[in-house]
Amino acid sequence: MNPARQAGTNVMAPLWRGLVAYRMIALVFAAGALAARRDEIAHLPAGVALVCAMAGWTGVSAVAYGRGWGRTTRFAVLDLVGTIAAMVGSLAAEPWDATAGGATVLTSIWVAGPVLAIALLHGRDGGLVAAGLIGATMLVLRSSPGSDELHAIALLVTAGVVVGYAATVTRQSADRLRQAISAEAAAVERERLSRSIHDGVLQVLAAVQHRAADPGGHFGDLAAAAREQESALRRLMTAGPVVTDTSARDLVGTLRELTRGGVEVVIPAGPVLASPVVADELAGAVSEALANVQRHAGDEARVWVVLEDLGDEVEIVVRDDGRGISAGRLAAAESEGRLGVSRSIRGRLADLGGSAVCHSVPGEGTEWELRVPKGLSR
Amino acid sequence: MIRVMIVDDHPIWRDAVGRDLSERGIEVVATAGDPVTAVPIARATHPDVVLMDLQFKTGSGVEATAEILAALPDTRVLMLSASGEAPDVLAAVKNGASGYLVKSASLDELLDGVRRTAEGDAVFSPGLAGLVIGEYRRLQDDPTPTTPQLTDRELDVLRLVARGLTARQVAARLVVSHRTVENHVRNTLRKLQLHNRVELARYAMEHGLDRNDSD
Repeated sequence: MNPARQAGTNVMAPLWRGLVAYRMIALVFAAGALAARRDEIAHLPAGVALVCAMAGWTGVSAVAYGRGWGRTTRFAVLDLVGTIAAMVGSLAAEPWDATAGGATVLTSIWVAGPVLAIALLHGRDGGLVAAGLIGATMLVLRSSPGSDELHAIALLVTAGVVVGYAATVTRQSADRLRQAISAEAAAVERERLSRSIHDGVLQVLAAVQHRAADPGGHFGDLAAAAREQESALRRLMTAGPVVTDTSARDLVGTLRELTRGGVEVVIPAGPVLASPVVADELAGAVSEALANVQRHAGDEARVWVVLEDLGDEVEIVVRDDGRGISAGRLAAAESEGRLGVSRSIRGRLADLGGSAVCHSVPGEGTEWELRVPKGLSR
Repeated sequence: MIRVMIVDDHPIWRDAVGRDLSERGIEVVATAGDPVTAVPIARATHPDVVLMDLQFKTGSGVEATAEILAALPDTRVLMLSASGEAPDVLAAVKNGASGYLVKSASLDELLDGVRRTAEGDAVFSPGLAGLVIGEYRRLQDDPTPTTPQLTDRELDVLRLVARGLTARQVAARLVVSHRTVENHVRNTLRKLQLHNRVELARYAMEHGLDRNDSD
């Protein structure tokens, strides 16, 4: 297992150990409460049996949560059901009519155990649901709920929500850390690869292209193959690191991932950031435009994808020097509803408050101008 | 006859390009395998055009470009790179290189590039146009009185070059002459180079480096 993955699983372990410790203390507390109230309890042997059963279950769940194999939804729900059963079982010691006066249920704060377990597994919402079920059971067991019960329920809900939220945050931070570690490792690896590729393969390929493109020779295919390999290698070397920031994405990396050999990507020296939504839609629009070029422009067409930072907006131009379409044909195709591609590209951009304009002249190729606000909050 | 010097640490490349150029009537007067020895060899041979690789095992071609141009004001440097490393390309151009081509450019593009460089034109790939537009924008983020600006026309020209249009196609679109387009392109580089020199001089003055620099 790599160290990053380990960090992700181990980060929750202290919280589970805390839960086990809490459960044991709560068991001692419940036993103490039983001893203190032994004279008020209708069937003391049943009460003692209940605390013994709780002790047994505390032991089982301590092993399950402590060792890790119980940190599953299935076991936590089993824990919840068992806990509710224990609460209902307290009726054997203290029948309904005997507790109407408002004594706390014998299981007391021990019942928070499964609430915390579910909160650790499923975050805030899980904690809330489990706390609700335990709280409802409490209300059912007391025909006239007093302020003690309401107080206890409020604390349960608070504990479930707070622990659940903390668990979610902890897990997210661990994920981010893991992403950062793997992104760094990827970047280092890419750096190593690109050094060796640059010093060897790229130089030879460049030379091959020169010799093979010689009009006297018959190596045109060889030159084309070398060019394709060369641009594939160059993409490999310069592709951006794995994106870890969720609030903004670098469009330079997005474009590099999209483009294949034979497409020249024209970019500024630094990053151009946009929101992930904008980056995704632009990626979709650009790949549709590129697919369209492949279908219509002809095999010899060259393609340029140009990224320009305009401040609050970005512009991406996809241009080919292929056959092009006459303005009349473009309009006709659109009015007949045959221009699926252009409608889809325009739709993507319009949804984000941007625009997509297509110019085409027969013999001079086609040009898509995509312009969109970056969508970054500041 | 145009006299060319090739600076590159890969013998395969040096030989291939050298042969290609001589077969087409361009005289290769010198070659060098690293940027440090390139400077004295250039001083001794006075080439019209230096074809300079960007990345060497021992460093970059950027400093050698600046030194050669300082010593030989009539010589021009055309940068070549196997993998368009953006920051290096910009640094080379700001230090006086008159243009940039990727090594995968066709022989015709290379010949054309050498000829135009010898005539004093800027050799722009679409990639370089994109970098220059980006650099002007970056400079506007923190402007000083000496920060250069693109005119609207220059920006129009650069944008079309970035989209892969040839100078002739750009001229046709903007309804201007081919010469005008070349001038606009060259001016965008010249302003960046001038600004770079001003910044270097200011840096030197602020840090007292001018006192030690007697020539």
